[in-house]
Amino acid sequence: MLKKGDLFIVLIVIIMIAVSFVGVSIFRGREDDGHKTALIIRDGKEIRRIDLDAVDEPIEITVDGDYNNTIIAEKGRIRFMEADCPDKVCVDTGWLYKTGDMAVCLPNKVMIKIEGKSQDIDIVTY
Amino acid sequence: MSGVKKIVLLGLLISQALVLSIIESWIPIPMPVPGVKLGLANIITVTVIVFFGFREALTVMTIKCVLSSIFGGGGWMLFLFSFSGGLLSTVVMSGLYKAGRDKFSIIGISIAGAISHNIGQLLVAAFFMQDLAVAFFLPLLLVSGCIMGFFVGVISSFLINALKNTKLY
Amino acid sequence: MGTVVIQRIYHKEAEKIGEKVKKRIAEIEAKMTINKPGGEINALNDTSGKDYVVLGDDTLYVLDKARHFSDISNGAFDVTIGPLVKAWGIWSDNPRIPQKSEIDELLELVDYKDVLIDKDNSRAMLKKTGQVVDLGGIAKGYAADEAINIYKENGVESAFISMGGNVAVLGGKPDGSPWRIGIRNPKGSQGSYIGILSVKDKTVVSSGEYERFFEKDGVRYHHILDPKTGYPAESDLTGVTIVSDLSIDADALSTATFVLGLEEGMRFIEGLDGVEAVFITKDDKIYITGGLKNIFEFKDESKEFEYVEKR
Repeated sequence: MLKKGDLFIVLIVIIMIAVSFVGVSIFRGREDDGHKTALIIRDGKEIRRIDLDAVDEPIEITVDGDYNNTIIAEKGRIRFMEADCPDKVCVDTGWLYKTGDMAVCLPNKVMIKIEGKSQDIDIVTY
Repeated sequence: MSGVKKIVLLGLLISQALVLSIIESWIPIPMPVPGVKLGLANIITVTVIVFFGFREALTVMTIKCVLSSIFGGGGWMLFLFSFSGGLLSTVVMSGLYKAGRDKFSIIGISIAGAISHNIGQLLVAAFFMQDLAVAFFLPLLLVSGCIMGFFVGVISSFLINALKNTKLY
Repeated sequence: MGTVVIQRIYHKEAEKIGEKVKKRIAEIEAKMTINKPGGEINALNDTSGKDYVVLGDDTLYVLDKARHFSDISNGAFDVTIGPLVKAWGIWSDNPRIPQKSEIDELLELVDYKDVLIDKDNSRAMLKKTGQVVDLGGIAKGYAADEAINIYKENGVESAFISMGGNVAVLGGKPDGSPWRIGIRNPKGSQGSYIGILSVKDKTVVSSGEYERFFEKDGVRYHHILDPKTGYPAESDLTGVTIVSDLSIDADALSTATFVLGLEEGMRFIEGLDGVEAVFITKDDKIYITGGLKNIFEFKDESKEFEYVEKR
C-alpha cells in the first residue's frame, strides 16, 4: 500500500512540524516573563488590554458578537470561561499564562493572546 | 463514460461527502485547536481525483462546502473556512496524483491532503483575525493532519480498490 | 471612589503595605464622599446656609486645597459644582440632560467664594442653602499622596500607585531608572498610549472627555462640567495630563486646565511653579510645557497624532 514517494511526503511533513514547533516555542515566553499583557482582539481590532500582573480581583469580561464569550482574567492568567459558539474550542483551551499563549473563538472572531515583549511603559495615566 | 452517468455518480459522491461531513461533526476532537476534524470528506475528494480528475474533484468539493455550510448554519464564514481548506487540499492531492500516481500511494496523498486542508483553514483564520499569531496552532494541526490523513488514506485505498473491482467506473 | 487601584511596591512587606494603603483609601472615601451617606462632606453640605461644621484635619486640608485651586483657576475648577454634577447624574447609572432653566437655577449655587473656612477652629461652612461641595475632582489625588506617604513611612523606596489612571510614583524603579508612564491615547483602547513620561518622585494625572460620557441623540456629553456654563466644557482639548509633586494639586489642575482649553490652559500652567502639562487637542495635536522637554517622549503607534514641538 505504501510507495516510495510517500517517504518524501512524510519527510516534508516532519520538517514542517519541527520548524513550526521550534518557531512557536521561540515566541512563546517563559512563565515569569513579567509584564504579561493579555490582549483581547475582536474582528482584528484590539478591544481590551489587561496587565495580568496588576489584576487583584478576577475580572469578568463579556464579548458579544455573532456569539457570546465570557472571559475571566486573574492574576497572571486569563481564559475563555463560557461561550455559546458551536465548537467551544476556545473554552477547551483552558488557561493562558505564558507569553505567546493564545485562544481563539473563530465563530465569534475573538482572540485572546498574551503579549510579553518587555513593556515600554510601567503604567498608563488616563 | 456518458454524461448522464457521470452526473449521477458525482451527485452520489457529493451526497456521500455531505453525509460524511455530518457524521464527523458528531465526533468532537478534544484538542484546544480550532478546525481539527477527521477530514472524512477527503475520502470522497481523493476518490473523485482517481476516477475522474481535478476539475470534477473541485466541483464536488465546492458543492459539498456550499451545501454543508447551508445545512450547518454557519453562514459564509463557515463556507470560506472549509472551502479554503478543501481547495488547497484538492489542488495538492490532484497535483501529487497527476505527477506521480506510481510514486505516491493513496495514503501518502491523503496525508498531504489533510495537511494542506489544515494549512488552508489556518490561513483563512489568520485573515479573519487579522493576525498571523494563529500560527501558534500550526504544530498541533500538522501532527493531527498527519494522523487523520493516514487513516483517511487507508480507508480511501480500500474504497478505491473496491470501486475499481465493481467496474462501475 | 470606585476606581481601579493598581499598586506596585518593591518591599519585603509589600502585601501588608498595600493593604494599609487600601484601608486608608477606604477611610478617605468614607469621609469625603457625597455619593454615599455619612462622612464629613455630607455633613458640611447638609448644613449649607446654616452653620459651621467642624471638620477633621484631612477634610479641612482637602477642602482648603480645593478652594485654593478654584481661586487660582478663576473658577475653571470649582469645588462647589456639586449641584450640577448631581443634576447631570454623571456618576449614576442614569445620566440625563437637565433643562436650561434647571441649570440656570443651579448655577446660582456654584461659587467657590461661598466656601468659608475657619482654620483656627477647624471648621467650615457653605454660605447659601443648597450648595454642595464635591471633592470628587480632588480626593483621588489626596488619596494617592497619602499612599505615597504610607510607602515612605514604611521604608519603601520604589513604588507607584495608579488610582483610576491617577498615577503617583515614589522614587524611580529598583534599578534606579525613572518610572515610565504612558499617556493614554484618547481615541485608542485602554492601555494604548501616545507618549511616555519618565519620572521620579512625581505624580501624573490626566483629565479627558474620553473618561466618562454618555450619548443622546447623537451628541456626546462628557463628565467635565464647565462651572460657568453648567454644561460639559467645550474645550479644544480631548485630554490633558499634569505632572507635579503633589497629586492633590495635579488632580484639581487637570480638571481646571481641561476646562480652560489649550491657550489659556498653557498660560495657566506655565504660570505655576513646579507644574508641567501635556495637552492633546481635538485636532490630534500634542503640546507640552517647556519643563517636559527632556521628560516627554512622543510615541504614538496609531500614527494619528502630531507632536507640535514649538507653540
